[in-house]
Amino acid sequence: MSRPQKQRLEARGVAVAFGGIRALSGVDLEIWRGEVLGLIGPNGAGKTTMVNVLSGFQRPTSGSISLDGIDVSRLTARKIAQAGVGRSFQAARLFRAMTVEQNLSVAAIGSGLSRREARERALDILRWMGLERKADHRCDSLSYGDERRVSIARALALQPSFALLDEPASGMNDAECEALMEVISELPARFGCGVLLIEHNMKVIMGVCQRIHVLDGGQSLAEGSPQDIQKNPAVRRAYLGEKATDSTLAI
Amino acid sequence: MKSDTMSFATIGRFWFPVLALVIPLAIIVVVTGQFGGLSIQRTVIEMLISIVIVVGLYVFVGNSGIISFGHATFMAIAAYASAWQTCCEMLKPITMSGLPPFLRDQSIPLLPSAVVSVLLAGGAAFLTGLVIMRLTGLAASISTLAVLFILNVVYSNWDSVTMGSASIVGLPTYVTAWLALGCAVVAIVVAYLYQVSAFGLAIRATREDEVAAAASGISLYWSRLIAFTLSGFMVGLGGVLQAHYLGTVSINSFFLSFTFLALAMLIVGGMGSLAGAVVGVVVITAMVDIFRRLEGGISIGGEQWSLPAGTQELIIAAFMLLILVFRKDGIMAGREMTLPEQEHREKGLING
Repeated sequence: MSRPQKQRLEARGVAVAFGGIRALSGVDLEIWRGEVLGLIGPNGAGKTTMVNVLSGFQRPTSGSISLDGIDVSRLTARKIAQAGVGRSFQAARLFRAMTVEQNLSVAAIGSGLSRREARERALDILRWMGLERKADHRCDSLSYGDERRVSIARALALQPSFALLDEPASGMNDAECEALMEVISELPARFGCGVLLIEHNMKVIMGVCQRIHVLDGGQSLAEGSPQDIQKNPAVRRAYLGEKATDSTLAI
Repeated sequence: MKSDTMSFATIGRFWFPVLALVIPLAIIVVVTGQFGGLSIQRTVIEMLISIVIVVGLYVFVGNSGIISFGHATFMAIAAYASAWQTCCEMLKPITMSGLPPFLRDQSIPLLPSAVVSVLLAGGAAFLTGLVIMRLTGLAASISTLAVLFILNVVYSNWDSVTMGSASIVGLPTYVTAWLALGCAVVAIVVAYLYQVSAFGLAIRATREDEVAAAASGISLYWSRLIAFTLSGFMVGLGGVLQAHYLGTVSINSFFLSFTFLALAMLIVGGMGSLAGAVVGVVVITAMVDIFRRLEGGISIGGEQWSLPAGTQELIIAAFMLLILVFRKDGIMAGREMTLPEQEHREKGLING
């Protein structure tokens, strides 16, 4: 591990309990700038809880979160966002009565830009994602696929050092998935950020991630390259039951 | 040359939502000033003052999505402050003996006193907001109602300063249609510039989705506190105008029935947009005026005919109910006045 400590978002021994239910128990996870890390696992594995912890929406029962080596476990969601952790939501959660450009500008303003600079950054990102024609459309008039893309674009408008994307491809058709994969793979180079990607679509995960972290029942099950994960017997059992065949996880 | 015309078009498009509200108001003032009777002219002035108040209310309620029942508080603070400074120099030492000497024994010129009163209202809104803007949703709304009750009780019983629940009469009446129009225009312009600013965008985001706004680095507390304070200044201006239009100040005119009427105006027009606030005032004022006349009695075919007293309130309430049932986002449904091409773009296409 020669990479400097400064450039990572790190969870150490994170546990979250809701009453008696342990959503996460002792998970270690780190995301480096410049990489795409996939976070996968069966339903209820604790993936979204992990994103909520990393983005400050869920305070861990124990364990800590550090950003570029600084402990951010006690910060509010807003402060963590301003410190450079952007996220999208499973349900897009757009500001529906506002335009696409305004949605992005809000995040840019949240990161400290003036209104004018925010608009420029917003239009920049929209152009890059091929959404510039939609800039002045209200978000309650968007198609489902556009809604999802705008929610990613908004997370990027924060100019985050880490972008946490919660199931960005859910409900997208094949062509939309392809386009989305292209966007996600270009994020590290274009924005200099690290990406944490939660996704059920294995084609997307295997296609864009350099590393994959597998959660099951709130615990880390495995971590490694896509090839390693595909071969990992424990992962296959968790995902597919004992009768896993070679073809199910392979793409 | 081309870039000049381009920027002219851009400026025109930017200001269109304001001009589309201000120009009709100016036309109303000119026309009623020329051809209207005295009672119509009075109605127009009342309407313009209501615009200052309701647009001020909109700055907080419309942008934050939190209903406030407490804004009459800041109007009352400004109206009373102005009364203390400008009213009845001879009577003050007797009727309001509890005032500090610099207020009790002299009058302060109109403009400085108006400015001070508005500042006081804004300051009171800021201090109140420091405490209650930590609350969200319904709790925030109810706490504004509590603020209104606190002020009402204090002012109703502070006899030596406020004359209790009696009216203070004899304020200089300097509010003309043109002054009221000027203030309404200022209120509309301020509200518009605020809502298109970074602050306005931030608070509108919190209205749409608090969680996503926090994830975008927006502070709910500060953005709401800014809106609440600005809104306090603006309704304070409305309070001063009302006091110096009627010439009297009375604490009960800043209580529940007024609060209801102001909110009804905002809800009927649509609290999601500045145009909604202005349109709501115009519509409700027209309705109130018509039914007030009918209550007063008219003669049809030589026969005197009138509606029972209270009909006007009843009709307004029923009208608000109908709006809430059939068009819950109000007449303007959260939209500003836009040029046709803009509207087309904003509507977008479901699959386009």
